[in-house]
Amino acid sequence: MHIMEGYLSPQWCIVWWVICIPCLLFGIYRLKNVLNADRETLPLLGVTGGFIFLLSSLKLPTPFGSSSHPTGTGLSAVCFGPWITSVVCAIVLLFQALFLAHGGLSTLGANIVSMGIIGPFVGYTIYRVLRDTPVSISMTIFLVTAIADLSTYVVTSFQLALGAVHPATGNVGSSFILFLGIFAVTQIPIAIIEGIVLALVFKYIIALKPDILTRLKIFSEQKINAARSDA
Amino acid sequence: MRMQKYRLEILTMVTIAAFCMVFLYTSSISRDTVFAGTDSIAASKISESSGTSTKEIQPLIPQWVPPSGEIESTLFALQAAIGGMVIGGVFGYWIGQKKKV
Repeated sequence: MHIMEGYLSPQWCIVWWVICIPCLLFGIYRLKNVLNADRETLPLLGVTGGFIFLLSSLKLPTPFGSSSHPTGTGLSAVCFGPWITSVVCAIVLLFQALFLAHGGLSTLGANIVSMGIIGPFVGYTIYRVLRDTPVSISMTIFLVTAIADLSTYVVTSFQLALGAVHPATGNVGSSFILFLGIFAVTQIPIAIIEGIVLALVFKYIIALKPDILTRLKIFSEQKINAARSDA
Repeated sequence: MRMQKYRLEILTMVTIAAFCMVFLYTSSISRDTVFAGTDSIAASKISESSGTSTKEIQPLIPQWVPPSGEIESTLFALQAAIGGMVIGGVFGYWIGQKKKV
């Protein structure tokens, strides 16, 4: 999902940077509040953030002969919301821009918006909708993670369609469809596998540390107990 | 009853196995499938349709590029290791906490 350095026109680089900076500042502010209120959230932040580091470094083959990586943002979006998730993603994406030449400093804003803000935001919305329904926790985590992953790639396609340094096709709509074919369609199997793996990880978090989840009001006690008795 | 308990584990393993089989199938039907990254596929599409070579598209901000695929994979492994270390550390911490009470 990285837009490579030099492939986004300068004005669009600035637009995405301007959008992402206030989100990051708000994320840092939220992060400070959450950690000050309860130090025991730090390990949970470590696990959810650790999966963003881990999964976004794994480039998996797609059935279409290309390769791409999961984003791993689902768990963090559910536990801490999109703003804090954007801060963790910014760190990962900065690492990749500086040391791996995956994405660049000018396109970092755009990449933070797609992977760190809009993807987790879509996931978080799904979580908020499903939280108070009878849908099981595993199913919720699966859907949040898979759709957060996919929507990140849809946003990347949209960003390239809008502001690629040379337009790929005559108009934005057909470029969008072209990039969706490259980024989003190929991402579907990866999103599914990521969703299942993170649902399993969350099962273990519930098994080991149910109290932190109820204290942060991530899921109701009733739902967590249901998940525990199921396991 | 025991199957019920490990339902999610079994589902995960089956999905990963299916994913691997799809990969083996894709790589066997065509020898010139290179599994290039989608980032670079999009980049070459942009340069191809606009008639500019990828070399002509200059970075806006100068960038360090890993000199070889080996160096790049080291740095990717480092990134994964950082994530894995933190995850393992926290799970160990939680298991320890659980045992104490």
